[in-house]
Amino acid sequence: MITQERYRTTVKELLANGSIKMAIGYKPGSTPDRRRPLFIRTSEEAEQLVLDSTCVQNLSGYLVSEGLLSDEKRVGIFLRPEGVRSINILAAEYQLNADQIVIFGFDSTGREVRPLDGRSAREFSGLLNELKEKPLQIYKEPLLERIEKMNAKERFDFWQEEFSRCIKCYACRQACPMCYCRRCIVDSNQPQWVNTSSHTLGNFEWNIVRAFHLSGRCVQCGNCDRACPVNIPLRLINQRMANEVLDGFDHFAGLSATQEPVLASFKKDDTETFIL
Amino acid sequence: MAKIGVFICHCGENIAAKVDCTKLAAAMGEHPGVAVSVEYKYFCSDPGQESVKKAIREHNLTGIVIAACSPRMHEATFRKACAEAGLNPYLCEIANIREQCSWVHTDSEMATEKAMDITRSMVEKVKRNNNLQPIEVPVTRRALVIGGGIAGLQAALDIANAGQEVVLVEREPSLGGHMAQLSETFPTLDCSQCIMTPRMVETAQHPKIRLLTYAEVESVDGYIGNFKVRIRMKSRYVDMSRCTGCGDCITKCPAKKISSEFDCGLGKRTAIYTPFAQSVPNMPVIDKASCIYFKNGKCKMCEKSCQLNAINFEMQDEFIDLEIGAIVVATGFQIQNTAVYGEYGYGKFPDVITGLQFERLASASGPTAGRILRPSDGKEPENVVFIQCAGSRDPSKGVRYCSKICCMYTAKHAMLYAHKVHGGKTHIFYMDIRAAGKGYDEFTRRAIEEDEASYVRGRVSKVWQENGKLMVRGVDTLLGKPVTVVADMVVLATAMVPQHNAKEFAKTIGIAYDEYGFYNEAHLKLRPVESSTAGVFLAGACQSPKDIPDSVAQASATASKVLALFSKEKLEREPVIAINNEATCAGCWGCVLACPYNAIEKKDIRDRSGRLIKQVAYVNPGLCQGCGTCVSFCRSNSLDLAGFTEKQIFAEVMGL
Ligand SMILES: Cc1cc2nc3c(=O)[nH]c(=O)nc-3n(C[C@H](O)[C@H](O)[C@H](O)COP(=O)(O)OP(=O)(O)OC[C@H]3O[C@@H](n4cnc5c(N)ncnc54)[C@H](O)[C@@H]3O)c2cc1C
Ligand code: SF4
Ligand code: SF4
Ligand code: SF4
Ligand code: SF4
Repeated sequence: MITQERYRTTVKELLANGSIKMAIGYKPGSTPDRRRPLFIRTSEEAEQLVLDSTCVQNLSGYLVSEGLLSDEKRVGIFLRPEGVRSINILAAEYQLNADQIVIFGFDSTGREVRPLDGRSAREFSGLLNELKEKPLQIYKEPLLERIEKMNAKERFDFWQEEFSRCIKCYACRQACPMCYCRRCIVDSNQPQWVNTSSHTLGNFEWNIVRAFHLSGRCVQCGNCDRACPVNIPLRLINQRMANEVLDGFDHFAGLSATQEPVLASFKKDDTETFIL
Repeated sequence: MAKIGVFICHCGENIAAKVDCTKLAAAMGEHPGVAVSVEYKYFCSDPGQESVKKAIREHNLTGIVIAACSPRMHEATFRKACAEAGLNPYLCEIANIREQCSWVHTDSEMATEKAMDITRSMVEKVKRNNNLQPIEVPVTRRALVIGGGIAGLQAALDIANAGQEVVLVEREPSLGGHMAQLSETFPTLDCSQCIMTPRMVETAQHPKIRLLTYAEVESVDGYIGNFKVRIRMKSRYVDMSRCTGCGDCITKCPAKKISSEFDCGLGKRTAIYTPFAQSVPNMPVIDKASCIYFKNGKCKMCEKSCQLNAINFEMQDEFIDLEIGAIVVATGFQIQNTAVYGEYGYGKFPDVITGLQFERLASASGPTAGRILRPSDGKEPENVVFIQCAGSRDPSKGVRYCSKICCMYTAKHAMLYAHKVHGGKTHIFYMDIRAAGKGYDEFTRRAIEEDEASYVRGRVSKVWQENGKLMVRGVDTLLGKPVTVVADMVVLATAMVPQHNAKEFAKTIGIAYDEYGFYNEAHLKLRPVESSTAGVFLAGACQSPKDIPDSVAQASATASKVLALFSKEKLEREPVIAINNEATCAGCWGCVLACPYNAIEKKDIRDRSGRLIKQVAYVNPGLCQGCGTCVSFCRSNSLDLAGFTEKQIFAEVMGL
């Protein structure tokens, strides 16, 4: 409560003195434990702001909506640490200028929300480096551990079973801040690399393409698997790829706004275990 | 409507023995879009090509598939035939049913099936081929030669004598390289300086050659015909426009005890110096690290002695930017540091020296004026032991390869010693005598027969000092016995290795190197003087150990390559390049990083009033090598490769 009130005052101040033109936060949703995005331009709108442990959506995807940042004015946004990482990735991939983003950082343990220090992505680098050092504790997923123990056949069956429910709605893509391409590869039909129909092959193609496109870029915010209407545990696939790039290339996505994309860059001491 | 012609070649028996060509032709004839499908014994022959051309004209073909050998063999042949028949040459595809089918399979029926798949998939591809035009790029007719050793000099002179401009860059204060350090040269024993110095002078005076000494290549951008090169002119602290090379400054310089690099530490030089008396240009440089003024802020004796005010302590490094069409890399070699062989005592015993030091002793212009004297006490040695392969052919401590020149120069050293020190005795420890080359075996025989060099076949295990003598313990494998030879001097035939900075330098110019750092040729047999990068050529010992005749021959070969390149006003390049769809590009710049040739730039998209709307990736057609890396990287699928578009490849796969 205190955090929410403090931030509300800060947002009002920054709007009033012109430091930001808008703040993106949360407001009540359709049920008590759901939140929806709030776009605050005036201090009246700021009254609707809610900040509690149910505010889980990573809002950073809204920043890259066409034209929002092109006037070079600053925009404030409420972000958890994963959200800050996604700001760094978007900046590293030239989708936004990190200096234009004013961050209202927060995190929660249980029902308690607490503010995080720092206003610009750069100021979070200490926190993010800590996350990198102990990612497994923070992102421990019991299901992921179970899957890791399966043999190849069991794993394949598991995912086939999960993917069989996919209806190709692309909600996962729309929800992901990293899926900002104006035209996604699945929309290109000359040639049609990815089958549009939701049969086994098409579903595998789509989900594997997405896993590859997100490798070294996913920040484990969980937007995708919350968006999936048929509850496919999508975050696990991306978590697995994140572990791969961390082990293989010491790459933790979104550490800084100048981090080079892992799949387009090369370090001399990269291990090359994948070359047989 | 597609009208494709399919031409199935028997390649004599090569294909027809395994693949049923008649069946293949019939099957392809039925495939949708195929207007004509025929077989023939040799399509690459004259009548074969004529029949292809005739079919193109008669059937108004929109594309052809030649089902035959690898495209590496005859793609160019059939593209040319297409062009002659009025069809765009890029509408020709090759289905490889020889290397990838008939040669590797035994079952005839299955091979025929596979040949059908391969051919059908190419038919599906060619239906989607587009007319492509070769890319034309202008050629800057100016060559850059890097390295002023014998290889660099030869290349520069050959190019310049053919009337083209050359810029020659040498990092040392003088031209000459290793050859300037040699005494007399095998196999003719002519004096190295006497044949080298005129070349150096000719180079310096040539109206077409711009000589930049004490200079290094800072960066290379661009591509064949259009390189942009930045040269760093290291500060000499001597104004070359004033200096006449009188040498007054050198005489006056009080810092006289500096070990001379040129004399391999056997002689001394001053802080302001020319490497050797015949240096070209004959103008000194100040070695900042040893100069008393730079160390203590006091001295300037040289400045006071110079009548022409040529000394300038304020001088800074300068940069020169050059437009270059072709690059010859002739950066040479260095000798391996023999201190790794503790058992030979190099560095510990002053009279254990390298072959290059022996050259300096034997050289008339060297520190002993050509007399063979021991570094320790200046006495003439009566017994000299030479150890061959002191580093070469030794995977454990040295290098695995043969340095190629040591057998020859050791024989030369034994001869020079016999000529200079009458009654002197030589023992040469060797593994094999490798003397392949014109007049080479005769040369080593002469050393044995006329100059009484005593060859001992075996390796040396230890050299130590006893009563002022060097004791050399080795094994004579022919007698099967250990031997100990008492010597006054030991000469090590050290391995020829790449320059210490060879690998970094290769990265600066963008060429490939082998595990040691020698530069890689494009093809060991068929393209031995071209590097893997178009427009960059290799001459001399930077590519592999070489003697002077080989270095010179290769240098002349690079010159002919450069001149062939300069004989055209424009270059034609394969139009297989990446193209970006600017509408869908997300501007993530992943491709910019991924491209190994730095071919992708950022391009601004503006509206009519000039406002920036977005930035997209732009592939520079002159730089793109068509490798496809960016295409596979691009998540939004915006990049595509002309000649291998996704549409074509998809159709090819679906045709299988
Ligand atoms: C002890 C000894 C004895 C020999 N005796 C004989 C003999 O009798 N007969 C014979 O045929 N051969 C002999 N050789 C071999 C001969 O020395 C070589 O074949 C020859 O010197 C090779 O010439 P090069 O121009 O390729 O290299 P180098 O002579 O090494 O010249 C390379 C030049 O490039 C310059 N350079 C290097 N890097 C750069 C850079 N980055 N930028 C600018 N400049 C650079 C160097 O300063 C140097 O001037 C002998 C070699 C040795 C070691
Ligand atoms: S893939 Fe899913 S978890 Fe990863 S960044 Fe995108 S939305 Fe978040
Ligand atoms: S959100 Fe779920 S159902 Fe929709 S496309 Fe993604 S994985 Fe398939
Ligand atoms: S990788 Fe693709 S989307 Fe990204 S900049 Fe290059 S062309 Fe554009
Ligand atoms: S095809 Fe290769 S060389 Fe050409 S732009 Fe793409 S990555 Fe660069």
